[in-house]
Amino acid sequence: MSTGAASAAAAPAGADASLRLLKSKGEGLFNFFAGLAILFAFWWVGVYFIAINPATAQFAGFGPIPAFRAVATLWEDGMIQRAAWASGYRMGAGLLIAIAIGVPIGILMGRSRTFREVSNSPFQLLRMISPLSWEPIAVIVFAGWDQAIIFLIAVASVWPVAFATAAGVAKVDPAWFKVARNLGAKPWHILTQIVVPAITLDILTGIRLALGVAWIVLVPAEFFGVTSGLGYTIEDARETLSYDHLMAMVLVIGAIGYLLDSIFVQLIKRYNWTRAA
Amino acid sequence: MSAAVAPAGMLAFPRLKSAGARRLVYGVLGLSAMLGIWEIGTLFLHLNPGTRTFTTFGPVPTFEAFPVLWGQGKIQSAVAASGYRLGIGLLIAIAFGVPIGILMGRSKRFRELSNSPFQLLRMISPLSWMPLAVIVFAAWNQAIIFLIAIASVWPVAFATAAGLAKVDPAWFKVARNLGARPMHMLTQVILPAITFDVLTGIRLALGVGWMVLVPAELLGVTSGLGYAIRDARETLSYNHLTAMVLVIGVIGYMLDGICVQLIKRYSWHHRGE
Repeated sequence: MSTGAASAAAAPAGADASLRLLKSKGEGLFNFFAGLAILFAFWWVGVYFIAINPATAQFAGFGPIPAFRAVATLWEDGMIQRAAWASGYRMGAGLLIAIAIGVPIGILMGRSRTFREVSNSPFQLLRMISPLSWEPIAVIVFAGWDQAIIFLIAVASVWPVAFATAAGVAKVDPAWFKVARNLGAKPWHILTQIVVPAITLDILTGIRLALGVAWIVLVPAEFFGVTSGLGYTIEDARETLSYDHLMAMVLVIGAIGYLLDSIFVQLIKRYNWTRAA
Repeated sequence: MSAAVAPAGMLAFPRLKSAGARRLVYGVLGLSAMLGIWEIGTLFLHLNPGTRTFTTFGPVPTFEAFPVLWGQGKIQSAVAASGYRLGIGLLIAIAFGVPIGILMGRSKRFRELSNSPFQLLRMISPLSWMPLAVIVFAAWNQAIIFLIAIASVWPVAFATAAGLAKVDPAWFKVARNLGARPMHMLTQVILPAITFDVLTGIRLALGVGWMVLVPAELLGVTSGLGYAIRDARETLSYNHLTAMVLVIGVIGYMLDGICVQLIKRYSWHHRGE
């Protein structure tokens, strides 16, 4: 009681910025864990009703407690690490290819009006081809399943990168190009000194979108053919009817996705220059 | 050959008076370039004796497959089955996503508490729910609809919340001063203000739903676009395969185009520009 009154009195009096920051950080942390706790409570209650019904009692393994136990077991067995490693490799290679192709295409779209207008219809058409429809073709074209999956991820994530890059280039002030040219910049200098620094933020936004898309594509792509990765682990858990392993892997997929997404959110904040002014 | 035509054309087209004609010409030019590259790629497959069996991947056999597939009613039935699943899934996503988004936009408490669980759920790759959906739902059809709904609810919810956050708080004060009840507030202020953002969210949701639809249909069901692709592969009819891939692209393009037009129609943010 007395401490509460004291801190409430102290905060406005001192108007201490660091204290306020600490408080908001603490609040953020509290909300983070409270939110997750509510989610797990809902999950627990839902499965509790399934477990007390004799007809559905066999599905009690879907609950949060068996799932958390399974996370520990799977980690000790090295299953999670192996699956994450295999999937991470495919995702990383696919995204790198998407960036290597998407950024130049995006710069071309942003700089050349003719290219943008001519490429619009084929690119929109290709973009709206659901990535997994390429799967039969990818399997025939590529020798290994690994390469086919990497291709599927790359073909799905190249569009967000390309369109975000193009939007970024379109936003660059044309005066900058004029100034650079007047100062004697060659096309190469314009690219490395103006275009790339100006669009880093947009490329990162595009990569974040691409990551979300690749994450959607990765799991179904790993359902077929391969015997490693997060998608395979899910399929495997279903076939062996180990529901706790299934939920554990679903949780792992969500947690890794959340982590990767947060990294990009932080990177985007770091490279954001549009609001700095 | 098409590469030689393009530079010559570049000089002439900017002089076209009508923007519509220009767009049409460029659109046709772009699609022809794509077909040209596709044909050249097929030619290489044809020249190599080892890959000659795959020549039916080319554009000519693909376009020959269209009348056949249409005559058999395969395209129509696949589109109807997939369209039904996508439509119901999106409707469910909108029915859940818009209220959740409004709640996120209006209540700071709800937004802060829901952030971590929603971000976690959002980043669960939708197809990982598939084994669970198959157990929970009696029929595959429902399981697929569930997968589409769970994938597309997040773009709708987050876009709605972002739209609401942009609404000028003074509007709420004015409405309250004029005696608006919460119901009036919702129908007269909130919904008209966020229609644009909800549509943006639906467009994103459509893209995600479209991505989820095909793999979801690769398993279990015997109808829809995903099944048609699997069927074409298993019967080794590569031209049917590429024809269905093209159908998927064209329908997706059309649906996306409709959303873009709707977004333009309901855009009031940029009207001043």
